Amino acid sequence: MRTTTSPSAGLNSLTPRRFSTLANVSTPPAFQAGGVFVYDWRVTTVENYAKLTDTATPRGLLGAAPVAPTEVDAKRKYRREPGFPVPILIAPATLWLTVFLFLPLFSIFIFSFWKATGHGMTPAFTFENYRAFFASEGFFDPSKSDFLTPSIFIRTLWSTFRFTLTVMGICLILAYPLAYFLSMQVENFKWQLALFLFVMVPFWTSYLIRAVAWLPMLGRQGLINEFLVTIGAIDEPLSFFLYSEFSYIMALVQLYVVLAVGPIFFSLAKIDRTLLEAARDMGATPFQIFREIIMPLSLPGVAIGMIFIFVMLMGEFATAVVVYGGKTSTTGTVILSYYSTANYPFAAVNAFMLMVAMMIGVVFILRLVDIRKEL
Amino acid sequence: MRVQKSKWSRRSFMKATAAGVATGMVGGFSRRASADEGLRSVGLGVSEINEIQGKATKDLGFPVAGQALGYGEMLSKILNQNDQYEIAEGYYHDLTFYQPAKVLQPLDTKKIKDWDKVTNLCKTGKLTPESSVGQGQAPYTMMWCDENGTRVQKESQYVIMVPAFHNADSMGYNPKATKRPIESWSELLNKDWKGKVGLLNVPSIGVMDCAMAVEALGLKKFANKGNMTKAEIDYMIEYLIPLKKAGHFRAFWENFGQSVNLMVNGEVVLESMWSPAVAAIQAEGVPCNYAFPKEGMRGWHGGLSVSAKVKGKQLDQAYEYINWWLAGWPAAFVARQGYYHSIPDNAKKYLEPEEWDYWYDGKAAAKDLPDPFGTITIKKGESRSGGSYWNRYSKIAVWNSNMDENDYLTKRWTEFLNS
Amino acid sequence: MARSTPESRRRRRVKAGFSVYYVIFFIFVYGPMFAMFTLSFQGPRGGVTFPMRGLSFFWWEKLAGPSAVGNLKASMVRSLILAVIVMVITALFSTMLAMAFRKRFRGSATLFYAVMSGLMVPGTLLSLGLATLLRQVGIPPNWWSSGLAVHVVWTLPFGFLVMMAVFNRFDARLEEAARDMGADEWTVFKEITLPLILPGIVAAGLFGFTLSYDEFARTTLLSGALNTLPLDINASLTQRVQPTLFALGTASTIFSLLMIGIFIVIYTILYRRSH
Repeated sequence: MRTTTSPSAGLNSLTPRRFSTLANVSTPPAFQAGGVFVYDWRVTTVENYAKLTDTATPRGLLGAAPVAPTEVDAKRKYRREPGFPVPILIAPATLWLTVFLFLPLFSIFIFSFWKATGHGMTPAFTFENYRAFFASEGFFDPSKSDFLTPSIFIRTLWSTFRFTLTVMGICLILAYPLAYFLSMQVENFKWQLALFLFVMVPFWTSYLIRAVAWLPMLGRQGLINEFLVTIGAIDEPLSFFLYSEFSYIMALVQLYVVLAVGPIFFSLAKIDRTLLEAARDMGATPFQIFREIIMPLSLPGVAIGMIFIFVMLMGEFATAVVVYGGKTSTTGTVILSYYSTANYPFAAVNAFMLMVAMMIGVVFILRLVDIRKEL
Repeated sequence: MRVQKSKWSRRSFMKATAAGVATGMVGGFSRRASADEGLRSVGLGVSEINEIQGKATKDLGFPVAGQALGYGEMLSKILNQNDQYEIAEGYYHDLTFYQPAKVLQPLDTKKIKDWDKVTNLCKTGKLTPESSVGQGQAPYTMMWCDENGTRVQKESQYVIMVPAFHNADSMGYNPKATKRPIESWSELLNKDWKGKVGLLNVPSIGVMDCAMAVEALGLKKFANKGNMTKAEIDYMIEYLIPLKKAGHFRAFWENFGQSVNLMVNGEVVLESMWSPAVAAIQAEGVPCNYAFPKEGMRGWHGGLSVSAKVKGKQLDQAYEYINWWLAGWPAAFVARQGYYHSIPDNAKKYLEPEEWDYWYDGKAAAKDLPDPFGTITIKKGESRSGGSYWNRYSKIAVWNSNMDENDYLTKRWTEFLNS
Repeated sequence: MARSTPESRRRRRVKAGFSVYYVIFFIFVYGPMFAMFTLSFQGPRGGVTFPMRGLSFFWWEKLAGPSAVGNLKASMVRSLILAVIVMVITALFSTMLAMAFRKRFRGSATLFYAVMSGLMVPGTLLSLGLATLLRQVGIPPNWWSSGLAVHVVWTLPFGFLVMMAVFNRFDARLEEAARDMGADEWTVFKEITLPLILPGIVAAGLFGFTLSYDEFARTTLLSGALNTLPLDINASLTQRVQPTLFALGTASTIFSLLMIGIFIVIYTILYRRSH
């Protein structure tokens, strides 16, 4: 990502296409304030909003009860930028990342041009590793029957990506209703938090242990098979429960779904209830309310959950061995196998390609949803 | 049996927990006083066992701290951080990486007390004069070096790794399920066991096991299974991909624990396996035999090396530790897990006669025998498949190896897994 | 009590439906936990799978006693300490970063993706890269130094994104009002901003804690001579896997539940006091 001088470029300008005309920068601050109430059927006057917020609103998890816009808003943009100075805020983290992330990352990048010696690497400047990543033997050689087949590393990256999308989709489908339930159906904040943390708990057990714990559930002699045999549903234990794509997806979803529940829950909990009430009073159907208010307002949470899960799954290398019996390879496992035979340059090339793929995914997600939207 | 009396008592449990937490607190922080006092050793859970390093600390009078790691982590640490350990308890075939990288130092055999007693299996590859020499990276091809640490292919005064523990691997099987003894590597690819076969997921070793099977089936002859050519690797992968697609393999395992679980859970009836897994599986009440294939076993050998960074007093201590390892106490300890030692006579000193008869002589156990931690794993009357130590090691078909075409193999193996 | 209108009946039905979903979800994420919990009371001859061979506290006692390979308790203490430090730093850094991101500044997009790349770089290679650098300058790796460094690199993007969500559509007018009344920046932050974002900060910190406690790949070459818990668990897999592992998992689950209980109690007390 190159530095852009225009601050609105990159992630700032990313507004969902549907709403871009309504909530873009040109809208006066007072109307952006509610964020949502710029949509067609809703109230658009400051007076109405003020009335709505007059009643005591419950404090959401992350935000304050909304306050009616005042004249302050109008003045705001003429004032010096308030808050702590940016350099002070970003200095510690930037310094930390420079030393502990960018220097190593840069050295890995350098390594990717070095030559593998079979027992490590030696300084050189060669594109050989990149060539080996992209070009398979016989690629573009018309005499070979499979001359258009991309190299195994590209195919692995592609299958990793495809699989990631599947699992991410499942995670989102499972996580959203749960987050919705917690934030919208459970009234008491204490209970919201308690129920949320309860589903978080398994996440605090080492994933090595959690992955192993699937075996007694799904195996040929596992609980599910025992149960099915006992009730007579099947005669012979089924083997596809474990060491199959099924178990792999199950385990991954169980491992990572919580990562999506959290952010979605946060952004849903922030939605001002009075807004929903108002919409309801004005005759919006529940589905309309969901589509027009809840969904758009929860998008940042969805986006963040997607980023978490996407990145985790793309880098996944440990779970397949335990629950899929190692019967697949991901770019993560490829990196590991070259790493463990001391071919660091080629592991580095794979790592960079993986990072590029992840970066594209994250940029894409942020193109869909602006997570930096202001009031 | 010790475990039987373990009746739940709340008090003893609380006491144990409290003690545990306390030792945890102390252990969490305690570090050796300084980096030039005592030894740090890295290796696998095979030899980095608290009781071994604890006993060494007691016997030698200086602290020996063991750090157990997984295989990949161990290799990477030995190769990249030789300032982070003094002793590396590694494996001969991995000298492919360590030796040219010069991370380990040559060890003078004159300073090793029992060097003369070390078996010829390590020194010449032939345990007995009649033994055949296995293909691949046998210890004797990797071990010898000159005083600069450069590998030489003849006996010399210096070695890069002092042989300590070793074993020969083949396949484990559940005799109740197979209903017949397994006597050839070809069984690994036998369609009778479709969907119930496990394979080691380390490309170089996995492909060797399968090559052994292909050879046993009479399909192809390999010049050196321990160092295959690209064409041979291609042949193997092309042969294996349809098998995998047909669902022949239940799982590929990566660590000892997984291989045990596969058999115990009834997921596989036959798998490539490390021999100590047999005892672990039997300990859970699942029948398991170890195959002694007529083609020979796949051997591996581990040993002790010293980081190139070590010198002075610490180097002396390193030699002391190596001598202590060879003297026999740890040999007996690892023997109870099924591993062999490079000086069997020294192991004998620390083993009870019944243990010696069972583990080394291949005789039926004259009484119940414990594992190193005191749990009874061997029942009276059982015996090891493959017979005596000398019988087993006279027929090593191939040694664990890292091939010249390792990168190509890794690539094709990825393709195999992804098919 | 509301009258039973068709609307309220519908709402109740919807709520019931979602509650059932919650329970199903709960069972799904706790399924393996349940197996783990049961099997930790496996008899002495039993293994990590069913059937149960008797019922005992044998493996719990084993967990409390010394480990054969590694030292699960000591490494757990290390991992906990590390996780707490990481938690604090993550919460602090991600709050500061997200506050900076409320404003438009040059290079913000670059910084954003820079933070994100900590999430993307494969752990094994990051540990190799940093270990190589440390070796060059002669600094020995330790779990509490270099280990801490990469853990924060890993957890920061998570905390940062959580804080971005917190500040998304954050209402700045309260702060403005306080400023208009003459409060300085620090007072504004302490009195207005902090109370509003505190739950978010806690969440960011929790992310940091959880991810650090579980981190494995990044730590390999950077923990020095002493293992963190995941490294030790991984090493123990080179031996037979025993139900001790499940006892450990169960113990940490119970511990987490306890912590949540305490957290909720404290929260309730604080909440009552502030109202």
